[in-house]
Amino acid sequence: MPAPLEGVRIIEMGQLIAIPFAMKLLADMGAQVIRLESTGRLESYRSDSVYQNDVSGEFWNKGANFYEQNRNKLGVTLDLSKPKGIQILHELISVADIFAENFTPRVIKNFGLEYEDLRKIKPDIIMVSSTGYGFYGPWANYGATGPATEGAAGLAYQTGYLGGQPVMAEIPYTDYTSGEHTVFAVMAALMHRLRTGQGQFVDISQTQATSATIPEVLMDFSANGRTGQRRGNQDTSMSPHGCYPCQGEDRWITIAVAKDDEWQAVCRVLGQEGWAGDSRFEDSLSRWKNRDELDALIGPVTRPWDAHELMQALQEEGVASGAVLDSKDLLFNPHLNERGFYEVVTHHESTGIPPLPYAGRPWKLSRTPAVKGRAAPLMGEHNSLILSELLGKTGGEMAALEETGIIGYGPTNPRPVQRPSLDEQVRQGRMQRYETDFQEQVRRAFPV
Amino acid sequence: MTEPALEGVKVLDLTHHISGPYCTKLLADFGAEVVKIERPSGDPARRMAPFHQDEADPEKSLLFAYLNTNKQSVTLNLKSEKGIQVLKSMVEKSDVLVENFAPKVMPSLGLDFETLQQINPGLVMTSISNFGQTGPYRDYKAADIVEYALGGLMYIFGAYDREPLKHAFNQAQFKAGTDAASATLMAMYHQRLTGQGQLVDVSIQEAVATGLRDVINNFTYTGAVRRRQPNHSGDLLRMRASADGHLIPNPGIGAGLDWNTVVDFLGLPELDDERFSTPSARLVNAEELGRILDEYFIKQNKYTMFHASHEKRFIFGVIQSPEEVMADPQFEARNFFVDIDHPALGTRKYPGAPFEMSGTPWEVRSAAPTLGQDNQEIIGHRLGHTREQLVQMRALQII
Repeated sequence: MPAPLEGVRIIEMGQLIAIPFAMKLLADMGAQVIRLESTGRLESYRSDSVYQNDVSGEFWNKGANFYEQNRNKLGVTLDLSKPKGIQILHELISVADIFAENFTPRVIKNFGLEYEDLRKIKPDIIMVSSTGYGFYGPWANYGATGPATEGAAGLAYQTGYLGGQPVMAEIPYTDYTSGEHTVFAVMAALMHRLRTGQGQFVDISQTQATSATIPEVLMDFSANGRTGQRRGNQDTSMSPHGCYPCQGEDRWITIAVAKDDEWQAVCRVLGQEGWAGDSRFEDSLSRWKNRDELDALIGPVTRPWDAHELMQALQEEGVASGAVLDSKDLLFNPHLNERGFYEVVTHHESTGIPPLPYAGRPWKLSRTPAVKGRAAPLMGEHNSLILSELLGKTGGEMAALEETGIIGYGPTNPRPVQRPSLDEQVRQGRMQRYETDFQEQVRRAFPV
Repeated sequence: MTEPALEGVKVLDLTHHISGPYCTKLLADFGAEVVKIERPSGDPARRMAPFHQDEADPEKSLLFAYLNTNKQSVTLNLKSEKGIQVLKSMVEKSDVLVENFAPKVMPSLGLDFETLQQINPGLVMTSISNFGQTGPYRDYKAADIVEYALGGLMYIFGAYDREPLKHAFNQAQFKAGTDAASATLMAMYHQRLTGQGQLVDVSIQEAVATGLRDVINNFTYTGAVRRRQPNHSGDLLRMRASADGHLIPNPGIGAGLDWNTVVDFLGLPELDDERFSTPSARLVNAEELGRILDEYFIKQNKYTMFHASHEKRFIFGVIQSPEEVMADPQFEARNFFVDIDHPALGTRKYPGAPFEMSGTPWEVRSAAPTLGQDNQEIIGHRLGHTREQLVQMRALQII
């Protein structure tokens, strides 16, 4: 069976996560994504978290973050600061269905790549722009990071420990929230084009997409004029509802109790028959009122438990509970692996990276599954495939493009990258630990 | 005028709570025709806070009102034979069925995909669940916090030396709802091209585990397990308190390398010192640097700093309270908040379009439905039941 998006061609001028992540998901489902990059301005994710922390050689083809966001894409380099580069981009757009980018509007305008420009080249083009605050409006040209838009959206203000300051995720969280909405927007635009033949411009504001997912507080303020408090892991009605310590270093369990029979089950599993009859905790209202007291009682009792064993014991009794998985737990998680969540991807032999598992997608389509995963492109890997075969450039033209630096196969000015050693990263507390036999562990669990 | 993007897509919505309704809200807000089937007591989200003026009335849940714009409501008792019969007749006329029951529920009602596909071979059935329709955790219970834990986001969220934390509210469920809407349209795209339906299995745990940057890769690439980051006080990317809240004075990757630009912008000559001019020096003198920056920013207005920074192409960010979000001039210029009139709530401002489409705009055609408001129209008129039959169904508690 063909993947559902077979025949859809996307030109991606993306960077970091917001657009690359969204286009990866579309590539997974069969779209042909041609990702443009610059040899002059090296995308930082190409040199982030390189394989075996080894920055020697062609480090720009070894970055984990680049491979994570760019699976199943074709890679073409293009210098857009030169007219010839723009001309080739126009040729690509003339045979594309979608053009997707996440630069600031200022950059796009300077390149002459606004929707009105593109539709002259391809009248039914769908153009997708993803920006921190939106393509127009007084903040349109403000550059943004994930934490900045998490703050602007109103999400960070309400997140944090009881009585503490706002807290944001340590990954660019809103890139994902907006990326998820981007995939939906592209699909809606494709549905419309299928029916009417019309393209359009899709304007994604990373802040706006995130605000759309916090109606709990925005509606409360809008209708009642109320702003909630930062309440740590506590819930507005459930109790206990929290994260409690378990056996080992930095090991934790989450427990969420909605109903009285679930509370009785918690008491049984934790061997605290006394709590079961305690009037402070007899129903959900009293448990919620006394939630601080309850949280303080639970922590010491979960401490001797193995987090996974406690999760299993609680789930068997019908209590919502989950061990807090670190990245290794997540990779080897039996449930995710039984569902085939990870897929093993083979890398170009020049990289020295063995086949490795990558996170898949949150959906499974029974009739039209995802395509078999192919590694993100080396820099310029598909220059010839796309420019010669798709656009019909001759050998002479290709040589001229390379000579004039319009295309290339490596960064023009590779600044050496320095990475602290793993020991140093552990000493600084950035990594919890590292395991020297990780290659053997991964190979055994994820055979090719 | 232009038609909405999803004109002509007919959705039978069996969802409740948050993830499923957000999925069908996205579909409805961009033009799909969504009929929401509620149990006779109503979607449990009708009993979820916040409520308008704190009145816990099933027509006054603000969360429900937000999640169910542009939908019609029909009540149906799926535990009755007649109810199932009515539902099946609706499946015949639908493109999509979305549900987010626990995985064992639909088969137990005789509404498994195989059965429904026989009624309508073009049906796209989207099932959203905590852990997916297969696997050892299939029947595990969850809440948002459990999904954060088992999705891998919680371990790397919060303070270095404290318990892991989750975002406020119900983010995991919104993520899965968005993913489900995308996957539904992928299947619909295929259906429009080939006429074939299929089953779409969406897992909330996997929705979280898909968005972790390179956290899993840290292990597969180097064997390292990332943890919650220590946040040293001299870190330039650190959030700081201002006179009126908090800001993130991030100079940006480019400018951050040029220390003089930062010193000039802040107007703090004491930072023009080799103790602070390089990243490694800043690490050594982090505490001193942090103290200087904290003392400086606590006297500043966050918006003044925010706007001034962007003139220099720094990428400062502001932490906005709900009140500030609703007064945000950027949102205002983009008309993000929209007035919606609802019979029990009156006219209120709602968060509007999550993104803009130039040709097929996001649009509110109707407020969230009152419970069963469309029984007569849909079960009576559209499915051809007489008034007497409707009365009888009501008496038998089928609707």
